[in-house]
Amino acid sequence: MPNAQEYLVLAPEILLAFAGLLMLLAGAIGRGMGNRDSALVGFVSLALTAGLLVYVQFYRVQPAGGKLRILGDSFVLDGFSFYIKALVLGATALTVLLSVRFLEEGNYRASEYYSLLLLATSGMLFMASGYTLLTIWISLETMALASYILAGYFKRERRSVEAALKYFILGAMSSGILLYGISLLYGAAGTVQLDKLSQRLADPALHGNYLVPLGWLLLAAGLFFKVAVVPFHIWTPDVYVGAPTPVTAWLAVASKGASFAILLRILYEGLGSVSVEWQKIVAIVAVITMVWGNIAALTQDNVKRMLAYSSIAHAGYILIGVLAVSQVGLWSVLFYLLAYTFITMGAFGTVILLERREYAGETCADYAGLARRSPFLAAMMLLFMVALTGIPPTGGFVGKFYLFAAALQGGWGWVALVGVLTSAISLYYYFRIVLYMYLKDSEQTTPTPLQAPALVGAIAFCALATLALGIFPGPFIELAKQSLLPLP
Amino acid sequence: MHNVPILSIICYLPLAGALLIAFGFKSSQGALIRKLATGIVFVDFLLSLPLWFLFNRSGELFQFRESLPWIESIGVRYEFGIDGIALLLVLLTTLLGVLAFLSSWTAIHDREKEYYIFLLLLQTGMLGVFMALDFFLFYVFWEVMLVPMYFLIGIWGGPRRLYAAIKFFLYTLVGSVLMLLGILALYFYNSDGLFGWKGLGNPKTFSIIQFHEIGHLIPPDLQFWIFLAFFVGFAIKVPMFPFHTWLPDAHVEAPTAGSVILAGVLLKMGTYGFVRFSLPILPAATMKLLPWVAGLALVGIIYGALVAMAQKDMKKLVAYSSVSHLGFVMLGMFALNGPGVNGSVLQMINHGLSTGALFLLVGVIYERRHTRAIADYGGLSQVMPLYATIFLIITMSSIGLPTLNGFIGEFTILVGAFNRVWWWGVIASLGIVLGAAYMLWMYQRVFFGPLTNPDNKGLQDLNRREILYLAPIVILCFWIGLYPKPFLQVLEKPVNYVVAKVDPHYAAATTVATAPVVPAAPVAVAGE
Repeated sequence: MPNAQEYLVLAPEILLAFAGLLMLLAGAIGRGMGNRDSALVGFVSLALTAGLLVYVQFYRVQPAGGKLRILGDSFVLDGFSFYIKALVLGATALTVLLSVRFLEEGNYRASEYYSLLLLATSGMLFMASGYTLLTIWISLETMALASYILAGYFKRERRSVEAALKYFILGAMSSGILLYGISLLYGAAGTVQLDKLSQRLADPALHGNYLVPLGWLLLAAGLFFKVAVVPFHIWTPDVYVGAPTPVTAWLAVASKGASFAILLRILYEGLGSVSVEWQKIVAIVAVITMVWGNIAALTQDNVKRMLAYSSIAHAGYILIGVLAVSQVGLWSVLFYLLAYTFITMGAFGTVILLERREYAGETCADYAGLARRSPFLAAMMLLFMVALTGIPPTGGFVGKFYLFAAALQGGWGWVALVGVLTSAISLYYYFRIVLYMYLKDSEQTTPTPLQAPALVGAIAFCALATLALGIFPGPFIELAKQSLLPLP
Repeated sequence: MHNVPILSIICYLPLAGALLIAFGFKSSQGALIRKLATGIVFVDFLLSLPLWFLFNRSGELFQFRESLPWIESIGVRYEFGIDGIALLLVLLTTLLGVLAFLSSWTAIHDREKEYYIFLLLLQTGMLGVFMALDFFLFYVFWEVMLVPMYFLIGIWGGPRRLYAAIKFFLYTLVGSVLMLLGILALYFYNSDGLFGWKGLGNPKTFSIIQFHEIGHLIPPDLQFWIFLAFFVGFAIKVPMFPFHTWLPDAHVEAPTAGSVILAGVLLKMGTYGFVRFSLPILPAATMKLLPWVAGLALVGIIYGALVAMAQKDMKKLVAYSSVSHLGFVMLGMFALNGPGVNGSVLQMINHGLSTGALFLLVGVIYERRHTRAIADYGGLSQVMPLYATIFLIITMSSIGLPTLNGFIGEFTILVGAFNRVWWWGVIASLGIVLGAAYMLWMYQRVFFGPLTNPDNKGLQDLNRREILYLAPIVILCFWIGLYPKPFLQVLEKPVNYVVAKVDPHYAAATTVATAPVVPAAPVAVAGE
């Protein structure tokens, strides 16, 4: 039975889940809450959760030595979980800002939308702290089920429904694979708790037991599906294109961040003793992801689809840091997730500003002459594209720099080589948008950006953060360094 | 005076100007913006002049140092400082900057606000490259600079500008990212080690001076790989044969100011990279790959000259002549001796001046006639005598006629080349002959002969603004040609330093040879 102390440490997660449920209720009463009210409630709940998170971290976790395990060792609070949770909350708050105007344009009910967003986010918070394979799996499902609905939230759009269905079928299958892997590992090791699992796997008695490699391979495959890397990425482009754009941004950032958190936690803490074996698999997956993600993005004309492939490619870059299995690797992954959050949110925010009903305004041609019509919006989009390519002085450059440094230091020179060359190639498709914005003249039909102060404010914030991470990365690196997992 | 961060001020003044224009002015205020922007780069040029006078020729190697912690967790520092080589390149950059801005006044009418913002950003990027003494900082400037150049070619360029712009960007980016891996390898070897190599265990740093110190300690096989990584980055920028294919496209499509800066300064970043990094940090690899690099330089000299001869477009001709001239620069540098490196650095400046001027001159006539085809002209000396005179002077400077700057540079390079391998000098001399052939042939076709084309009859000679921006180059060409001593003096110390790092035996031999001469001077003074 959890005691009062444990409930207190769980306060952020509980608050967020309650807020989500309350909004669901409020939506069912009468005509439901209005769009702006719901957004406000959602935003405030996220802010309160963040406040509680900071309180718990500094007044409960740090006095306890920086690491606290509760609920029978199934839930852990450490620097890593704090960092990931803060990141997820920030990304979701930005998503709320991105959504307000978009929902009005689409004319869909709002309170359920924000309620699902909050519920999924509370699942992510649990993911960041999960310490047994089962807690992790259940929290992952909490997030995933809400995400499926969100992807299909624009139920009158065929593409949105298609996205939800594809996401659901493939997602359910991958959850099954994940669970099957978990059950095999449990069968072999007799435990689902990560640190015990790692100890058991190091036991020579388990050498030669085929359940072990089969189990972790299936587990890894399920995780690779969630972070969307090749060859488990097939769902990504369709879902990202079909889902309402703020949801796409949220999937690409928050969902990806939380999934990387469990990937890291499981690989480092649960499968740490077999790290030499999974490193090879991760290296291969990273390389084919970088190559295929970038090559497939080259030919995309739809900006959302291009960003989908780009997010696949970026997952490949992040895997470089994962496979290095070093402190540098870990904090570069954490730093990169942070930079990637702002850059991607900003880029999708710009897409939203130009979008119209029925997903008009999504092709590259719709960006033609944007630099003339709204120079500052174009300049911000330029900054995001520069950052995604990995050109200084942006957070994207500093992040990639650390990832490649970690790879070289870990002796993965060939992976780093593929990484730098593919990121040079990526210039071509990112600058296709720049080319349309700056180098081509607009036609009559191109959309003018929406008037949406909250959204523009969010984009500007992302742009400033992208620059700050590139010019003064020091404090953020220190923050990431405080948040490391123990190395295997 | 020592507390004034003069280099930072010079470097960031254009950036501040760009921000001011971006936020303080409307697109409709084109006339005001162009005056303001030109004023800013002019002030920047004035600010850079004191460097020439305050630079202590016999003092520290790197002067005007600035050093601040930047990203402490990985040892990145904000370090600025210039030696004699960087000093000349900084001055070249600020000077050509003013000229390029002045030349844009009538050439650019479309989207002036953005144009001057990008040009100013480019200026900051280039200055930072020559000033940075931290490899990370250097890399930041090196890449930042690509973005404004992309726009200058892509927005204000010729008909194939989109293709040329992305080609320029992609080529140079591929080179830079490989260089990045080389930088990281150096970084790890200096501290913890990487792959099989045990590191030196020094504190983590990206300091270029520290890398110079450990150059001779790096095992040759590691040097080889780092050299290759740097080589791709720098050789694309120079550009050396066979990495030069982006250059003619970029040059032909870029607006005049873009071409001037591209030829005058940007290409020097590649050669500067070789002399600052490859030679002193990787001496063993430099020695090992010497024949290959020199071979490519020689091929570049001859190939560039031959292709230039076949061009029908003036700008393209000048572009290919750059490939040939930068072959000279590379050849002199990889002679790895005093005269060679000296001539090489001086020739960087000379090429910046003469090729910059050639692009300005082609721009002048292009603005009047909107064609660059040599066949469209002929007999221009009758209607534009002053233009023809200046063009002739610059042509002679480019060919290497004595009394002009090109002669000094090419001659010292040839001396260096002969000293290293005699037949390098022979082939390079052939390149000079070819150079004279294509330049003079172009001059003859454009300026002499009958004035047949009726469109050319009414051409105006140079106006005052055009004279204003061409005159400084002409003066400098004569100055370097007649009295190069001040320039060679500035270069003496850094060049000796580089030669001593890369080829200690040669440096030792020459010191012994000149040793009796050195004490002779005080004796003479005492005898008076």
